[in-house]
Amino acid sequence: MSFGEFLLDNLTQFWQLTGFANAQFGNFVMLAVGLFFIWLAIKKNFEPMLLVPIGFGILIGNVPFNATAGLEIGIYEEGSVLNILYNGVSRGWYPPLIFLGIGAMTDFSALIANPKLMLIGAAAQFGIFGAYMVALAIGFAPDQAGAIAIIGGADGPTAIFLSSKLAPNLMGAIAVSAYSYMALVPVIQPPLMRLFTTKKERLIKMKPARAVSQNEKIIFPIVGMLLTCFVVPSGLPLLGMLFFGNLLRECGVTSRLAKTASNALTDIVTILLGMTVGASTQASQFLTPQTIFIFFLGFMAFVIASSSGVLFVKLFNLVLPKDKKINPLIGNAGVSAVPMSARISNNLGLEYDPSNYLLMHAMGPNVAGVIGSAVAAGVLLGFLA
Amino acid sequence: MKKVISTIAAALLISGAASTALAQSRSGLRINEVMVSNQSSIVDDYGQKHAWIELFNSNFSPLEISSVFLTNDSTQPRLYPVPLGDVNTEIPKRQHVVFFADGEPNKGTFHTSFTLVPGQDNWIGIYDADGVTLIDEVTIPAELGPDQTWARTSDGFGEWAVRDGIGTGYITPSSANVIKDTNKKIENFAELDENGFGMTVMAMCIVFTALLVLCLSFYSIGKIGSAVSRMNKMRAHGVDKEEKATVKHDSGEEIAAIIMALHEHLNTHDAESTILTINKVKRAYSPWSSKIYGLREVPGSHRAK
Repeated sequence: MSFGEFLLDNLTQFWQLTGFANAQFGNFVMLAVGLFFIWLAIKKNFEPMLLVPIGFGILIGNVPFNATAGLEIGIYEEGSVLNILYNGVSRGWYPPLIFLGIGAMTDFSALIANPKLMLIGAAAQFGIFGAYMVALAIGFAPDQAGAIAIIGGADGPTAIFLSSKLAPNLMGAIAVSAYSYMALVPVIQPPLMRLFTTKKERLIKMKPARAVSQNEKIIFPIVGMLLTCFVVPSGLPLLGMLFFGNLLRECGVTSRLAKTASNALTDIVTILLGMTVGASTQASQFLTPQTIFIFFLGFMAFVIASSSGVLFVKLFNLVLPKDKKINPLIGNAGVSAVPMSARISNNLGLEYDPSNYLLMHAMGPNVAGVIGSAVAAGVLLGFLA
Repeated sequence: MKKVISTIAAALLISGAASTALAQSRSGLRINEVMVSNQSSIVDDYGQKHAWIELFNSNFSPLEISSVFLTNDSTQPRLYPVPLGDVNTEIPKRQHVVFFADGEPNKGTFHTSFTLVPGQDNWIGIYDADGVTLIDEVTIPAELGPDQTWARTSDGFGEWAVRDGIGTGYITPSSANVIKDTNKKIENFAELDENGFGMTVMAMCIVFTALLVLCLSFYSIGKIGSAVSRMNKMRAHGVDKEEKATVKHDSGEEIAAIIMALHEHLNTHDAESTILTINKVKRAYSPWSSKIYGLREVPGSHRAK
């Protein structure tokens, strides 16, 4: 072999390893999706904390490379750096850490002051099981249907946790679908809220919530964890961490831990979770007819969840005394997209009455939705795992 | 003194919990299937057929068994200690290992120092590392024939039954006694709850129950809390029970009105003296904060001076 041939041979081999030589149409489609997510986050400000890591993760995961070269760079190649980071998703330990942070960030006062709002959080979970029925009708197996339906909980970590257990092969599509619709909550929910409410109902003014004592705030995470986990032990990883984070926040003697859990830890896990979920959407795994169905079902789940929350409040109002009626505009907040859906309730309430601030009332069902979706995930896991 | 007592109590609790956790994991070890007369079943690493004992780790975590004892004599619980230092003695979760009861422990880790005798009852026990705690035991009936096993009907649990390799009575050394090719739960849901209505009703009932229980609990806790704070308030005001109707919670509006009135009355924020005072702040020197230790001396800068 001459020196020239040697150089040519090496350059040919190098060319075989480049993205240009291995690119397929699907890669470009996914790169476009990744760029679209980043555009949505930066230009439209749709959940930027989630969509930027996911969008960039999609770019990382869809740079074409020679998978047969054994370079250990792909997210699905055991031992690669991305694969190690992806372990938190595939083994389901990122979501409980996110829940720890959510617990440490969340003030449950609105819920403690008005415990009946918890039932709205429960009613909104009908979105999950409505979508489960539709998924079965389309032809998904019960475990896959359960994993897809959890998108209706509007809770990304819960969706990842459950799909990693019930349908790991669909996890990428489910996670991206869940986060996409969470980002689109301001687009999806308001028309439904207007559709199912009358002008008179939108003007209902709710009484200000009573002040909640420190003792009640401390008792809540302890009793909440024990009661919900005794009913649904399979929800323990999510509910346990959620209430633990909240106890750190409320007990008053672990402010440093609560601060770390709600800031640094949550940020770190969000970055890793978003990026690896995005990177897991490799074109070969993601661009399948199933993904289209999953996105459709996710949308259905969101619509059913938001509608059922609003309709449940209307139903509930029938049995409530006149001075204790609930504004149905807070029903959408039963899905656990915290605090986005509560903010939408508030904005819509202000649109019809500039003095009607619903934010604190909507935070009740909103955080109940977090608990409800974790319970629902536990139920599905218990039945189908 | 109180501190010492509470520290000792905490230490005892922690050690108790740790020993319970250890005991729980050890207690997950099970005798799962036994063959006394091996005519045509598996062979060992030396190509020989012996009686074998299958152990099963029923835990959902790996189990290290290197310190447990296997025996066929209840008066000698320490008959065969599973040797230390073999990586294969860690049984993965819900997996099996097979020991050959050939009486030749010098052949390797998985060869016991005792044998099983066909035609008579054979008792086998597993003792924990202390040689006292019996983890599991089984008596294999004398009627067990050649190439038959005495096996659990379900891995780690269930009744014992004879298996002869015919039909569903398959012999499964080193693998599950019940071969699952499908997930029964999911199959049942697919078959009996085709449209998902059953799941929806059950799951929604559970979700509602969980949150309703929580709701009722906090309704009660809130009531108790309000009553306690009212009592405290009455006590603070020196009000007796007859007058309690007059003692109310201060509403948010009342508190806001009081604050506004105080603000108006005191008006402390808007009238500033407009005198600026600069005080020198003295800080105690500490080498930890000294920049000198973090900088490299640059010769050129000395010359410039």
